[in-house]
Amino acid sequence: MTPTVSASGLSLRYGGTRALDDVSLRLTAGVTGLLGPNGAGKTTLLRVLATALPADRGTFTVLGHDPATARGRQEVRRRLGYLPQTPGFHPDFTAFEFVDYVAILKEMTDRGVRHREVRRVLDEAGLADVRGKRIRKLSGGMRQRVALGAALVGDPGFLVLDEPTVGLDPEQRMRFRELIAGAGEGRTVLLSTHQTEDVAMLCHRVLVMAGGRVRFEGTPAELTARAAGRVWSSAERDPGAKAGWRTGTGSFRNLGDPPAGADLLEPTLEDGYLLTLDGAGAEVAA
Amino acid sequence: MSWHVPEEDLRAYARGELAAPALWSADAHLTSCARCRGALAYVSDPVALDAGWDRLDAELDAPRTGILERLLVRAGVPGHTARLLAATPVLRRSWLGAVVAVLLLSVAAGHSVRTGEFPTLFLALAPLLPLAGVALSYGPALDPTYEMAVVAPTHGFRLLMIRTVAVLAVVLALNGLATLALPAYGLRALAWLLPGLALTATGLALTPRLGPVLAPSLVGGAWAGLLLTADALRAGADVPLAPFTAAGQGVAAVVAALAAGLLFLLRDRFDLFQGRAV
Repeated sequence: MTPTVSASGLSLRYGGTRALDDVSLRLTAGVTGLLGPNGAGKTTLLRVLATALPADRGTFTVLGHDPATARGRQEVRRRLGYLPQTPGFHPDFTAFEFVDYVAILKEMTDRGVRHREVRRVLDEAGLADVRGKRIRKLSGGMRQRVALGAALVGDPGFLVLDEPTVGLDPEQRMRFRELIAGAGEGRTVLLSTHQTEDVAMLCHRVLVMAGGRVRFEGTPAELTARAAGRVWSSAERDPGAKAGWRTGTGSFRNLGDPPAGADLLEPTLEDGYLLTLDGAGAEVAA
Repeated sequence: MSWHVPEEDLRAYARGELAAPALWSADAHLTSCARCRGALAYVSDPVALDAGWDRLDAELDAPRTGILERLLVRAGVPGHTARLLAATPVLRRSWLGAVVAVLLLSVAAGHSVRTGEFPTLFLALAPLLPLAGVALSYGPALDPTYEMAVVAPTHGFRLLMIRTVAVLAVVLALNGLATLALPAYGLRALAWLLPGLALTATGLALTPRLGPVLAPSLVGGAWAGLLLTADALRAGADVPLAPFTAAGQGVAAVVAALAAGLLFLLRDRFDLFQGRAV
């Protein structure tokens, strides 16, 4: 399958911090999850791929266009949808006005064409009934959907979503997952998230980042398989475990290298993620 | 209802060739006038009519244009550019109110504390207003939609210039009105103009290097330092501060031109994110 995004050796430093360190990846159609702890470099990677930040070293292409040149960057941006980590809104705008404003920034100058497109994406984001409502009066989940609608203007081939489900309640998160799944049909979506459930439910591929590097790239099943035989149950916390926590049943779920005769458990995606972080030297928060 | 869409406009509307603002008038009118809708059906072919209804449907949700936007369109500014201008963060009542308040205070001071032949307080403050206005109109800390805008295909420098021109037009007009309130000083009361342009252009030219907050802050600080130094060096209270003499005005013009040239050379730097993230 021809990759939508192909990156090689991306590196970026901020002062003494190595935000990206030799990152290479290939993204194809469908939803790819990007997992990693705070400070792993996820947002920096998304901003580089969205052409907002230039990398110090390395190259990448999006849909065959090289953003290293001004012309290539503009071609990439014409095919890009971007939902930042904390999308900002002009507070007095309605949902329609905000998406209309973004559509103008996306070079839609014909008023009639633009307004039809705004209606289309607001319908796609499930906001048909609140088009005329001011954004400051919408809930957090609704605002995220407005921002997603703005990202979908122009039917972009590459969609970059930076932690879109943060701060949403379970029902809003589920609704948002449905929207992302729909958006991932026929286009390439890169979804940064802290929620392993998002990846398990939505993604056909997953990347794990820590310390500015990609520590894992594969399918969610392959990430889960990394924890096979390394998760066990015990009545007390096992001091030899790399991480362990008491579950709802009162027993401890331990991760690491199990002792002989341990009561092994079926691993989850989160187990594979935590063990991958531990292998990368990152703190395992459990 | 006394007004109806002329038949010639209806035919153009049906062909999708009616231009704004006549298009907007027709859209708005057709939503509430059965007679014109009937006339539209008569002059249209069915395919074009369906397209027209789609467009009309979309217009029902369209943003209501404000006074500023309508004025800009009437003045010949394209509708989409007028919309970008109307969304400029600082062109809001609160900021414009603050500008007017500062100008009123400095003009009042010029009248009540008349020491010498120059309204020094007014001339010192007026150049800072366009600098502050332009600085507050873009950047990750001040424009809520900055991050979405920077990855949009519209070039960042073009957006910056659209907003800069809008802010300058408004602030320079307000400064000009304030100048008219100081008739006793004649043309000397206009000595803020060139320093104002020089400060604004320098603040913008330094932004790619220093960032959208530090650059204008440093330029404003440098302006204050320059005025204090000039005040300490001047021969007497009746002598104008150096920046407001003919030589000072010449220097301001040169600085404005050089900074504008540097800004143009650095234009591509405004196409990238000016902030940090990990």
